[in-house]
Amino acid sequence: MALVRLDGKLDRAVNLTPATSCYTRLGQEKRMNVMRSRSDGQVEAALARKAATAIIEIDHVSQIFKTSTGEDHLALSDISLAIEDGAFVSILGPSGCGKSTLLYIVGGFVPPTQGLAKIKGGAITGPGPDRGPVFQEFALFPWKSVLGNVMYGPRQQGMKYAEAEARSRELIEMVGLKGFEHFYPKELSGGMKQRVALARTLAYHPEVLLMDEPFGALDAHTRTRLQNDLLNIWERDRKTVLFVTHSVEEAVFLSDKVVMMTHSPGRIRQIVNIDLPRPRRRTELLLDPRYQKYVVEIERMFDDDSTSETQP
Amino acid sequence: MIARNALAKGLPPILACVGLLVIWQVASLLLKNESFPTAWDAVRAIPSILADRDTLINFAASLRRMAIGFGLAVVISIPLGLLMGRSRAVASFFNPLLMVIYPVPKAALMPIIMLWLGVGDVAKTLVIFLGVSLPVIYHSFEGAKGVEEKMLWSGAAMGLSAPRRLVRIVLPAALPEVLTGCRTGLVLALITMITSEMIARQSGMGNILFNALDMGQYDTVFAMIIIVGAMGIGLDTLFEQLRARLVRWSEPQFDLPLSFS
Repeated sequence: MALVRLDGKLDRAVNLTPATSCYTRLGQEKRMNVMRSRSDGQVEAALARKAATAIIEIDHVSQIFKTSTGEDHLALSDISLAIEDGAFVSILGPSGCGKSTLLYIVGGFVPPTQGLAKIKGGAITGPGPDRGPVFQEFALFPWKSVLGNVMYGPRQQGMKYAEAEARSRELIEMVGLKGFEHFYPKELSGGMKQRVALARTLAYHPEVLLMDEPFGALDAHTRTRLQNDLLNIWERDRKTVLFVTHSVEEAVFLSDKVVMMTHSPGRIRQIVNIDLPRPRRRTELLLDPRYQKYVVEIERMFDDDSTSETQP
Repeated sequence: MIARNALAKGLPPILACVGLLVIWQVASLLLKNESFPTAWDAVRAIPSILADRDTLINFAASLRRMAIGFGLAVVISIPLGLLMGRSRAVASFFNPLLMVIYPVPKAALMPIIMLWLGVGDVAKTLVIFLGVSLPVIYHSFEGAKGVEEKMLWSGAAMGLSAPRRLVRIVLPAALPEVLTGCRTGLVLALITMITSEMIARQSGMGNILFNALDMGQYDTVFAMIIIVGAMGIGLDTLFEQLRARLVRWSEPQFDLPLSFS
């Protein structure tokens, strides 16, 4: 019986009887062993995480920058947020509201002035391959070809050359750049560069994608195409995505959840759950009154904020 | 087609050289000064200089000092410059030091260096080393400073440690700038090599030049100037070819590999 269950094809049956299932217990034991080999503190943290199913937790994070005149500027004020495993979450706000900073804190690129960001219950102290960034500026390695860029992460993780190459070629095809493997970044358009950047990040299997206004530098047409392609790619494995944008339509179209932020200091204004069916098709969605309602509601909330802000 | 292009490219510099020699020849014939031989006399003196065994040994000694001085300078200056570009602490430590050394003509240090280290290879190599170091440090520093932060973050997310990021991201990203510094450094190596040999006259190309001057062999003096100049052009051309190959990815007129013609 155990053998049958271990086959994995009976996942649904297992889920129906979780308490008695060998599969579940075995899995848990295995996970516990892995955890024990780290530390007891992390085991507890991991168990707490399991209960909440949040992969990323942002816990009372504040960020203070020194301005050029030496004054303190409060960029983020007491942000707390939990992001569920497998969710597509957008952080939406006007420029300068600190939304990118929040993403950099999760990425471990910028340490928070106060508070703590956690991934799977463990404190984030620096960048790591479990969180893959995609930047507006692409940040490709210009001395590497498309293939060289995509292979960079897997090779760095110790994958064999042939294996890394095969995986990279697959990803390059997936983002629609088959035939461009040996081009250099200099020879590519903005949209193509961002496709390479996405493939490069996916290549090392991050658990969370951190996308920092990835389509912000692209023209409207390219932007739309990349949004569609990103959703198609995301549908395949439903990685957790944290997506920073200032476009309301983009946020609603892509996300399960939109985190609205206010300007200066950056605070969470409201979290809007986007209850639209998936897989989403842009052409259908644009005609969907529910989609339109989300967009209009969110824009209204921002409008209210800006009119009230004119009074000092 | 390709041959004709290469010919068209190579023609202007050759014309310029020939033009210069013609002006020289005419000027010399008109001035009729003993210390200003004709271009033809100077060019005619070259084969006999290059055929002399002692002279060639001197050439080799000069080139050896230049190679060692340049090599050491590059090996030390590139990492130093890159580190300075990425670390404020390292930069603020070395900056004042370099600012003091920068405006001093390196040949002006020669008397002191000779006093301490003698007139041999060590003193001359040190002067070459100093001459090459500064432009290489400066350009490596600027190159490293200009590396996009997000590129380093991308590397960090892939698991590259800080020292590995310096070698595997900062160095290649800054390479075009670094090599510009090296190119300037190479010409400076030649200049400081000749200068040091003129001051500490013991061996080398600069010594041959000054000896000829002392003995009034003016055609040899001019022939040596032509040889040193040609050497400079040759080294620079070779280095430029190497540079272009290494940083092909950054050239603005990068040829598309696809061709529809």
